[in-house]
Amino acid sequence: MNGDPVARAVALSGLVCRAADQRTLLEVDELQVAQGERIAIIGHNGSGKTTLLRLLSGFTRPAAGSVEVLGRALADPLPAARLRNLRCEVGQVVQGVPLVARLTALENVLIGSLGRVAGWRGWMRCFPAEEVSRAEAALQAVGLQAHAPRRADRLSGGERQKVAIARLLLQRPRLILADEPTAALDPLAATEICRLLAGAARGATLISVVHNPVLLPLLAERVIGLKQGRVAFDLSLAEVGEQELGALYRAGSAVPPADWRAASQSSSTRIDGVTGFTGNSLASQSWR
Amino acid sequence: MSWLAFSGSRADRLGGRLGFPALTLAYALLVVACLASLAGEGELSLGRNPLANLAKTAVEFARPSFIDAWFGNPWLEYRSDDGSLLRVENRQEVERGYLAGLAEATWTTIRIATLGSLLAALLALPLAVLSARNLAVPRPLAWLARAVLDVARAIHTLVFGLVLVGIVGLGPTAGILAIALHSLGSYGKLFAESIETLDMAAIDAVRSVGAGPVQVFFNAIWPAVLPQFVSSHLYVWEFNIRDSTILGIIGAGGLGLLISEATALFQWGRLSTVLLVVFLLVASFDAMSRRIRKALL
Repeated sequence: MNGDPVARAVALSGLVCRAADQRTLLEVDELQVAQGERIAIIGHNGSGKTTLLRLLSGFTRPAAGSVEVLGRALADPLPAARLRNLRCEVGQVVQGVPLVARLTALENVLIGSLGRVAGWRGWMRCFPAEEVSRAEAALQAVGLQAHAPRRADRLSGGERQKVAIARLLLQRPRLILADEPTAALDPLAATEICRLLAGAARGATLISVVHNPVLLPLLAERVIGLKQGRVAFDLSLAEVGEQELGALYRAGSAVPPADWRAASQSSSTRIDGVTGFTGNSLASQSWR
Repeated sequence: MSWLAFSGSRADRLGGRLGFPALTLAYALLVVACLASLAGEGELSLGRNPLANLAKTAVEFARPSFIDAWFGNPWLEYRSDDGSLLRVENRQEVERGYLAGLAEATWTTIRIATLGSLLAALLALPLAVLSARNLAVPRPLAWLARAVLDVARAIHTLVFGLVLVGIVGLGPTAGILAIALHSLGSYGKLFAESIETLDMAAIDAVRSVGAGPVQVFFNAIWPAVLPQFVSSHLYVWEFNIRDSTILGIIGAGGLGLLISEATALFQWGRLSTVLLVVFLLVASFDAMSRRIRKALL
């Protein structure tokens, strides 16, 4: 939205991304994200959401076009040192189990500081005391201080995602990419994770992929709808109504399952009390 | 071998329902061919009086020689045919001397297995990293590593031992090197498999905070594979203790020397003593490694 390069977190232009079999995954003519903006990306499976996020963290390379993240152009090929430099400032929360299973919760949080900890300390997992105390504070912020010495594979799904957010807090990135951070979580845990994530993103730019429209107000002021690799709409949260969502999800084969309405109804009634989120055009009753 | 693999792949193309009976039939035909040809060459006989031989051997086996160390005849007289006394032997002393030699040989076997296994594990580590399919190692390097591992696995410890005795001479060094060269293949395969089952999402998560390759290795890969490496190491080490008991037969020292001595002289009582030691060694190591493995996972 903002053309000023200093205040710009992400700028894409003429972007084309292809899979190994030359199928086009993503095609974006022009997309800009200002520093400090909070954006949600929605769209059905295979619409290019994850590709977009992997592009911004340098895990995927575009076939054509330019990508600029935090003022750095992601040219191809990108020197490894510059890519690492960028990744220090880009925090990621991915779906599934993004933790190192055999390390403790605290050690997993400390991984967030690896970008700053150089040399043998990072190799031997012998972190400076200052980082350790910061990591403990981060665990406390997500309410897991009691679980610090527990191994990551002994934690529940929600607790693991909280550890990932604590890792984010320690990393203190300027741009946060969250790919379905609430996948496989129950509605109550999903709201909690979203609120923690929004808190961790204070002062930073947050780009998240969300499936459940109920969670949109927690994470974003601007919503980008992707459909078959193209931007279907790019609106502020207030402008996004059932019409846009319906058009996004109805077309093609990706019709939401029949029990979706019931499921999201029950989640919205539970969340109502927490967020005061009723009567919005996004409320799921009229959603299809 | 390649013939079996071929019929297997063709069975897959035919579809599972028809493929399995076809494979079973091929296997049955192979067994019949083996039996019929051996019988035709007259190689399936059991010797002249197998039952009597079996009974005699079993009786001697049932009385291991170490019992003599306490209950042997302390005044065993050897006489010539005309009755004159040739020599007097204290059976207890002789057997005690044998037991001391046995303890020394056991220690040698343990040393061969331990050092051979460690050497093999250290040599296999880089080869396993190179041959793991998920680490994007340059193709020619990966092929080379896999070829080295396959060759090492294909050649038996005894064959390596025979060759090495010719090179470095008789003694435990040949045994250690033989164990190391053969186990290299087993270690490489096991290590590569544990690297291949790594959780790539966790590795990407560590990379995504800007960690360098060495930091990724020590923070994501090493903690995940270390327990599996230790477990594989214990497994192959135990296997090598069993394997190194036989190496003495070719002159590499240890229990195998006593085994070949006892069989050459038909001293089944002594063989039974040696085999008891082998059994105790393997069983106790197995119990120990199982506990360590359980504690690790």
